[in-house]
Amino acid sequence: MGCGSSFPDRDSRQLGRPSSENGGGQDARNLRVKLVLLGDSGVGKSCIVLRFVRGQFDATSKVTVGASFLSQTIALQDSTTVKFEIWDTAGQERYAALAPLYYRGAAVAVIVYDITSPESFSKAQYWVKELQKHGSPDIVMALVGNKADLQEKREVAVQDGTDYAEKNGMFFIETSAKTADNINELFEEIAKRLPRPSDS
Amino acid sequence: MNTDTLADSRSKTSFTDFLNRMHHPASLDLVRSIKSFIVSFSFYQPKPENDGKRVQDFFLSMEAAMRDHPLWTTASEEDIDCAMEGLEKYIMIKLFSRTFSATPEDAKIDNEISEKICLLQTFLKPEHLDIPPILQNEASWLLAEKELLKINAFKAPHEKLLSILNCCRVINKVLLNVAVSEHVPAGADDFLPVLIYVTIKANPQKLHSNLKFIKLFRRQAKLISEAEYYFTNLVSAAAFIVDLNAKSLSMDEIKFEESMQAAKLINKVTNESSSTCQMSQQENNKCSCSEKMHHKLDDTGVFKDVEHGSNYPYMEAKSKELTVGDVDMLLSDYKDLVAKYTILCKAISCLSTSEREPLLRQIEKQSAETLLSQHPGINTPTTHQDN
Repeated sequence: MGCGSSFPDRDSRQLGRPSSENGGGQDARNLRVKLVLLGDSGVGKSCIVLRFVRGQFDATSKVTVGASFLSQTIALQDSTTVKFEIWDTAGQERYAALAPLYYRGAAVAVIVYDITSPESFSKAQYWVKELQKHGSPDIVMALVGNKADLQEKREVAVQDGTDYAEKNGMFFIETSAKTADNINELFEEIAKRLPRPSDS
Repeated sequence: MNTDTLADSRSKTSFTDFLNRMHHPASLDLVRSIKSFIVSFSFYQPKPENDGKRVQDFFLSMEAAMRDHPLWTTASEEDIDCAMEGLEKYIMIKLFSRTFSATPEDAKIDNEISEKICLLQTFLKPEHLDIPPILQNEASWLLAEKELLKINAFKAPHEKLLSILNCCRVINKVLLNVAVSEHVPAGADDFLPVLIYVTIKANPQKLHSNLKFIKLFRRQAKLISEAEYYFTNLVSAAAFIVDLNAKSLSMDEIKFEESMQAAKLINKVTNESSSTCQMSQQENNKCSCSEKMHHKLDDTGVFKDVEHGSNYPYMEAKSKELTVGDVDMLLSDYKDLVAKYTILCKAISCLSTSEREPLLRQIEKQSAETLLSQHPGINTPTTHQDN
């Protein structure tokens, strides 16, 4: 399961610039946000993050310890910034019971499934229910149908994703980590939906 | 690794710097607060959660005091941070014995985890955790294990946490190398299983207590972001090991139960044989074998030749008493033990549970005889009694 061979040029976005690194100055204009990624193994969780983080910058720049934790700062139009600290989780069934250790305190949960795999869609619904029960009440949830480039193998209709997300008050988007489609849109939209310290 | 030595040396300088500043006459007030805080701890029974809160509150109040202090008026954020690292280290070294593994429950959980890992070590393979062959790299994992084992070499929460991060760093290096060469992503799907495997191989003592100690006493402002993420991974690896059962692994459930049974048996035999061995040695030293001892040896039968003759005459020896001439004997004893252990493990892994116990004894006997016949004249009962 590769992430796709064609990494985009690092110049092609004007989405964000890294803010000056100071270990988490938390104010209304510069948010630091914990984002947890959930979903079956193989749906492309880490590819989405890699695409988001490294698509815009030199592949070697921001990686410190490894690839399962990555951070990326984006600047929004109102000149505020959001620093996403992205926590990847192991998607294999046997680690499902450990998930609460990871999503505790998360402001955002991105739940990913593979549009060619109905099983991964049911697993995504399982995570939504689990977060509704045990996640923090004001968590922002996004449902992501990944591998949208594999149209000919599609087994989960767009409408199914849209309907499920709507019913559960979530944001829904289909992405392709391979072609980078909608990857930045996903994170931008999340940033917009975050409760700001002033209005909470 | 460069980064590690850098981090180490930085933490050393910050600590020395902290101590130097504390020796400055102007910081007498700070020194007084620190001392009285440490003393105040001896007035109460240890209560981990309370203690954690008190220490964290003290860190915050000291940080505020430093910011207002003449000695730090020109200090940068980084200077303050260094001083706080120094303070954390100083306080936690002083309070270590009463805050680390402070309750009997902690010690109990530590032992349970460690014993379970001992059993798992005898049969667990990377494929049982679905670590794909392409990611398997036992040689590099050994480095990761070493880093993790350093956790008990330090008392300061910061340094303990660094051991964990360095362990994760080694694992990630391997994963990233493969990711780059094979064009596969190296995310948590791959990382967590490897960390669990490395933790089992390393079996760091007092794992639970170490994690609890870091959680409670590492400055809260520092247990965030990446450090918190990798710390959480080790917490979850420990949780996985504690709850691990036949369904947790890619392994036949019956085979799992049998392997656990076999491991328990090996542990039992190893413990028994070493304790019997010690007892028999003590008896021999006193030149009298008690009735009880004879009975015990007859009960276990197969151990009789070996134990009574004392295959292990060095059990009670002190290193000072040994001479170069003992090397031959020690080496041959060592080889005996390894040979026996290997035969035992091999045999056990091929057997069903019901066959295991009686046959185990038989094998032990055979291997002992083989070894004795290979080394005639040494360690036989006659030789020993002549001493």
